[in-house]
Amino acid sequence: MTRAGGWLVVVAALTLPLWLQSPYHLHVAIMAGIFAVLAMSLNLLLGYTGQLSLGHAAFFGIGAYTSALLTLKLEWSFWPALAAAISLAGAAGFLIGRLALKLRGAYFVLVTISFAGVISLVSINWIELTNGPLGLPGVPAPQLGPWSLRAKTAYYYLVLAAVALSYVVCRRLVRSRFGRALVALRENEPLAESVGVDVTHYLVLAAVVSAGMAGLGGSLYAHYTRFVSPEVFLFTYTVTMVIMVVAGGKGTLAGPLVGAVLFTVLPEALRAAASWQWQMLAYGVLLILLVFFLPRGIVPRLVASFPARR
Amino acid sequence: MAELLQHLLNGLVLGGTYALLGIGLTLIFGLMNVVNFAHGEFYTLGAYLAFAALALAGLDFFVALAAAIVAGAAVGWLCEITLLRPLRNESIDTTMLVMIGVWIAMQNAELLVWGGVAKSIPHPFPTAPLVLGPVAIAPLRLFVLVLAAGLIAASWLLIQKTKLGRAMRATFQDRDTAALMGVGIGRIHAATFAFGSGLAAAAGALLGPVFLVYPSMGDLASLKAFSVVILGGLGNLPGATLGGLLLGIAEELGAGYISSGYRDAVGFVIIILVLLFRPSGLFARQERIA
Amino acid sequence: MNRRSIVLLALVLVALGALTVPGESQAPIKIGVIEPLSGPVAASGNYVRMGAEIARDWLNAKGGIGGRKIDLLIEDNKSDPKEAASAAEKLIVRDKVPAIMGAWGSSMTLAAMPKLEEYGVPMVVETSSAASITKRGNPWIFRISPPSEMEALGLAQYVDKLGVKRVDFLAVNTDWGRGSITAFGDMLKKKGAAVGVAEFMEQSATDMNAQITKIKATGGDTLFLTTAVEQITLVMKQAQEQRLTRKVVTTGGSSSPTQLIKQAGAAAEGSYHIVFFMPWFPEAMPDGKLAKAFVDEWAKRGHPFEGLTEGFRGHDGIATIAEAIRVAGKDDPKAVQEALWKVSLMGVNGPIKFEKDGPAGKESGQSKPSIFVVQIRDGKVALPDFLAKK
Repeated sequence: MTRAGGWLVVVAALTLPLWLQSPYHLHVAIMAGIFAVLAMSLNLLLGYTGQLSLGHAAFFGIGAYTSALLTLKLEWSFWPALAAAISLAGAAGFLIGRLALKLRGAYFVLVTISFAGVISLVSINWIELTNGPLGLPGVPAPQLGPWSLRAKTAYYYLVLAAVALSYVVCRRLVRSRFGRALVALRENEPLAESVGVDVTHYLVLAAVVSAGMAGLGGSLYAHYTRFVSPEVFLFTYTVTMVIMVVAGGKGTLAGPLVGAVLFTVLPEALRAAASWQWQMLAYGVLLILLVFFLPRGIVPRLVASFPARR
Repeated sequence: MAELLQHLLNGLVLGGTYALLGIGLTLIFGLMNVVNFAHGEFYTLGAYLAFAALALAGLDFFVALAAAIVAGAAVGWLCEITLLRPLRNESIDTTMLVMIGVWIAMQNAELLVWGGVAKSIPHPFPTAPLVLGPVAIAPLRLFVLVLAAGLIAASWLLIQKTKLGRAMRATFQDRDTAALMGVGIGRIHAATFAFGSGLAAAAGALLGPVFLVYPSMGDLASLKAFSVVILGGLGNLPGATLGGLLLGIAEELGAGYISSGYRDAVGFVIIILVLLFRPSGLFARQERIA
Repeated sequence: MNRRSIVLLALVLVALGALTVPGESQAPIKIGVIEPLSGPVAASGNYVRMGAEIARDWLNAKGGIGGRKIDLLIEDNKSDPKEAASAAEKLIVRDKVPAIMGAWGSSMTLAAMPKLEEYGVPMVVETSSAASITKRGNPWIFRISPPSEMEALGLAQYVDKLGVKRVDFLAVNTDWGRGSITAFGDMLKKKGAAVGVAEFMEQSATDMNAQITKIKATGGDTLFLTTAVEQITLVMKQAQEQRLTRKVVTTGGSSSPTQLIKQAGAAAEGSYHIVFFMPWFPEAMPDGKLAKAFVDEWAKRGHPFEGLTEGFRGHDGIATIAEAIRVAGKDDPKAVQEALWKVSLMGVNGPIKFEKDGPAGKESGQSKPSIFVVQIRDGKVALPDFLAKK
């Protein structure tokens, strides 16, 4: 995308609460932001290492539960709870990353699904810790010094900051030696190994950062909706993230952002446009059409249509 | 002891249908490299077709089963040529995404057409269980087990003995050579997808009368099918068969002796363990294709 | 730009355009409804919707409220708490509804509750059974369905007559199932019965043979079953196959005995069911005429009979909200909330009047619904044998 286009987007995002007055629209924007963080995290694994994690909701959920439990039961403040959520999710990512040592492709996918499945069942059955299916209501809103961030406008800026931070982290990683090694990994693993790229090391690192970022998304989600229940581990959350990344354009920096905004707005738009019987059917059909016409995703298509001027 | 045998028998019946699901998916996922999230929807389609044939049209049970298989195969064939063929050169994630779209669309179309109320499929078997020594089994379930075994055997025969089966194996072993030898690659892909979907529909038509039919029944079926495929090794037919049986039995035993709440966890844990110690599947000694 | 980009741009514009389309004209009174209309419990959510539509049409036939017609704005929460919260937000902010009915499942209701407080809009809870809903200090919640504890108390008077000595539980692994086990377990223990095992099944599980085998081994005399009618059917069929012979009592009011008879047949014979509506003998309900009229209207619309045991909730919820709007004199959320404390009406289930529940100063409203027990005898639904006249 052109530079001017990029700056326009940034300015629009910064001033959003001014021109998007309705709290409902702001709500959609906040959800889009949270999912943007999640999509970017999945993109690190899927788009850059080529490994598909279909258990990503597990990291999201671990982040949400950690943050919720620490602030509810141990009365921590939001910020250390957030740090803990990111760390714990990252640790889980480390675990999965280590498993990836031996597995690739379809097998890795299945381990991630199974991992998410087990964590989901634990959250439902370990009542003493998670309150089981009843969930954790009343998760407190974050405080920044004396100011509460409960109001939508304030929370929007918190989420925006997280999105910006995640974007910067991804961009730095991708453009660093780490990123180049990941691309080498994705393109030709044996060759990469033969020139001395430590495959294991980079895969694990990617998994840790990816999982930690998803944990960030989880914590933001928990303190916005202020209710966490085992449904956060639902496969549909992972599927939504996958749709956002692949339809947006995996392996690009802007792809997940575009995907997150589009696929957060779309179901809400369908809610307004169609009666409840047709909403999800329309969603499925639109998804098929999108993939059919833009098989590489939206951003790669846009980039091809608007080549950067020299 | 009686309890153990009962658990094993229950597990075997379930496992037979898991095997059917697994065989279908191992061909699609293992050979065509398509992450088919809609596999469970063909299972559901088969069940609804059996319902329509039995409860609405009053047809005979075998006719209903055949109709379900044919319909499943036909819809599968259609999917392949309209959606997958044009995308064949795209990445695996793209085909996966389109199948996610098909999954959402099919399930919600079924919800729209049939409504959310679960349907019960009438069957001609007596409900009183057959007592075989210390264990009991409902005649319907015995029938399901026998038919599943028959379909599995038929699948093996098709892959091993027929010209189509040979062509399928050749295509997936070495596409270019097969093409040079005159095999129509497009037809083989379509036939494989149709075959796999037909088997899934068969599993749905068989299990429909045992349980109930409702739009979201395919979700768990998809997941179990993927587990079976990995257990048995991608593209490995006997592996998928044994894997299906094993998963059914392991789930029953896990639910019976460990905890019913964590029943599905048993499947997951097994997968993780298998993949840690035998990444190419439990039965990787066998050839990769059929 | 080439054709593909145009398609993409069109998609984005449609999406944005739909989002910014303004709401409808203000003349009709809008009531929001949030139910699970897709997903695993789509049947129940749709039954509630059908009951709500009957209430709306009856009220509109009588001229609506204060001359204004009622419009139901129906949203699908897709059995996902996040969607329930989004739907509530949309209904409140975009559609400006003065009141909502929802959201069926307890976790959906709990997820929507913060939105109610944020914007100050009342919600009538028609199905959720978790005790915490009315104990969280949310003054915008008014529940007409019984929490599990109330349900258990309703059964307490029959425990001796039922002859329950050793009980086992089999419940769906959700807040409802678990809450039910706790509530009924406590009540039964107080009555001197012994509690054996408590087994669970996942919401989407279809094979409960393992759990039944375990229950068979305990030697108890009664099984308390809490789950949706589809799973009850499966449990009964599988219990019959395993020759499990003991009293079965289903709780929660979602057992739809008619559907059970149809789908489980002889396997359901003799079982007892706690229900909140008896469509088989509507005259026995507190307002027999209303109940009968509801049953007849439901049949006239071609809705399945088995849905009545859940559909009435939709009717009672909308009737309650409508009454509150009438008492308030305007469709303003705060006025409706105050009016809800004053309403006293007759629903299909019985009298509806809210009492304070929860922490002082921010109580929620809880009504005391009527609770009934029926039994399946000779392939039909009847009053339980211990109540039938000699």
